[in-house]
Amino acid sequence: MTQKNIIELRGIEKRFGTFVAVTDLNLDLREGEFFSLLGPSACGKTTALRMIAGFQEPTRGTVLIDGQDMEDIGANKRPTNMVFQSYAIFPHLNVGDNVAYGLRNRGNSKADIDKRVSEALEMVELGGLQARGADELSGGQRQRVALARALVMKPKVLLLDEPLSALDKNLREQMQYEMRRLQQELGITFVMVTHDQYEAMTMSDRIGVMFQGRLVQVDAPTTLYAKPCNKEVASFIGEMNFLPAQVTSEQGETVTISTPGFGTMEIGRNPNVKAGARDIDIGIRPEQLEISTEEPADYDGTVQGEIRDVAFYGENVHYRVLIEGVAKPIAASVPNYFHTVDFQPGQKVWLGVQSASVIDLGQDQSDT
Amino acid sequence: MTRPSGLTLYAFVYLAFLYIPVLLLPLFSFNDGTIVAFPIKGWTFQWYRELGGQEIMIQALGNSLFVGFVVSLLSTSMGLFAARAYVRYRFRGKGFSEGLVMLPLVVPGIIVASSMLVLFISMGLKPSLTAVILGHTFLALPFAVSIMKSAFDDFDASLEEAAFDLGSTVFETFRRVTLPIVAPGIVSSFLVTFTVSFDEFVLAFFLSGNQPTLPVYIWSQIRFPAKLPDTLALGSLLLLASVLLLVVAEYFRRRSTK
Repeated sequence: MTQKNIIELRGIEKRFGTFVAVTDLNLDLREGEFFSLLGPSACGKTTALRMIAGFQEPTRGTVLIDGQDMEDIGANKRPTNMVFQSYAIFPHLNVGDNVAYGLRNRGNSKADIDKRVSEALEMVELGGLQARGADELSGGQRQRVALARALVMKPKVLLLDEPLSALDKNLREQMQYEMRRLQQELGITFVMVTHDQYEAMTMSDRIGVMFQGRLVQVDAPTTLYAKPCNKEVASFIGEMNFLPAQVTSEQGETVTISTPGFGTMEIGRNPNVKAGARDIDIGIRPEQLEISTEEPADYDGTVQGEIRDVAFYGENVHYRVLIEGVAKPIAASVPNYFHTVDFQPGQKVWLGVQSASVIDLGQDQSDT
Repeated sequence: MTRPSGLTLYAFVYLAFLYIPVLLLPLFSFNDGTIVAFPIKGWTFQWYRELGGQEIMIQALGNSLFVGFVVSLLSTSMGLFAARAYVRYRFRGKGFSEGLVMLPLVVPGIIVASSMLVLFISMGLKPSLTAVILGHTFLALPFAVSIMKSAFDDFDASLEEAAFDLGSTVFETFRRVTLPIVAPGIVSSFLVTFTVSFDEFVLAFFLSGNQPTLPVYIWSQIRFPAKLPDTLALGSLLLLASVLLLVVAEYFRRRSTK
């Protein structure tokens, strides 16, 4: 069975005066998925979310929700509800009245409203707190009230604008799991806007990465991490070593490259790059590099270098290694097993990489 | 503050200079004599008792209360919408229009009064309470706008969006979310604009015609030495009422910006 699209964005553009906030946005969101729009601040992700919610009208293009064109349909008539970055808990209402606010607009009976409100509060683990005042809530509780207030409306799509950014680290991690669990239990489509790559990766089924008003790549977190489509995405998601390389020959899905230090390798080709590209960027994740005192056997590319510095991160150790012909040291990260090798700055080491871990990032657009 | 310095002393002298004349008013209103001079002859409530029987004065009081009520209603409702627009939106001519609204604070009252008199008469509006209401609304508007702006400043715009998102119409959002949240500001603006109108003399003197407001009435009485103690008693009551109103208004204003 193919999954139904719950939201379809067709050729969306949004301008504020001469400033282009979002351009050429085409995106299908599937029913029941957890989708994140990820990008640096002012990349247009919040504007995109607000156009789905109905707070902003696109300058050009169409927003379809459940197959229906949303033009001239205000936020109050759309089957979407929003969790705001500030949570927007009504300060003059208690928890129960906050959650009941939308149901009262629909004119449900009092008994029905009471029942649904208490179910919604149960769901976010605030059962029985109906009478609590809005100013007596902690940050985490405010977030739960905001969630309950939106979910009690049984929206087709729940929109979340940086929902965790106001919480401290521990609470944020806990809420990541809880929101993911809620989303899976309810089967409602969640669309979240965030600038935090870890948040996006831990919670989402799919992530859309935006830069400067453009949606650059849409993929599952694992794909996004393993196969970023360009240097911009690669540097935004996780850590990445960048190296220049020359394409020496192309064979269908693979290209043969020559790169300083590691020498010649055959790597998977980036489908976004046109044939005939000569100078490309390649990327290697720090944890994909083997580091040892002897030249590692059975690796497709090896190079000798000197440890520049060491950073201890707890769960792993980062070494930065200078190799000949590359100005910037190569980062290699090693899990912190109790028997881990312990290198010192100045020590000569070998780096090894499998060609499957080398990512073709295409041409560096800033050079051309 | 560690110890009284020269500046502290200066501040006390300054405050005394400002307020002691005002405090003389209630003091002499209890004086058992018609001449306002020390020594105090004795203590009496006579002047306060006499106030009750003066019909023209009570009518003037009624006029002032009526004008004050209408003025506070008009200026507060205009201030509410203007302030929301100033805080929420950016638009062409915003700075200019804000400046224009605040202008009555700096234009000399006598100029406003005489030009309004000329304007109203040329429009066929005779000096009357209606003319006073229009004039006072003009004067009170900057106060209403400033107070309502401070109420909207700390008002998270996403609260209105949240209400809209949860299915409220624009009108319901205003009634169920915006109004209750800025309510303390509205009360504060109501009280302050009422006081502005209630105490105002120059405009009322020019525009009230044969329907004097209380300050105009008081002025007319001051010329008769025998009536002076009555006026002092009346003035003291007004002073007390004004102070109470402003204290309550300030309490609400602070609550709205909390």
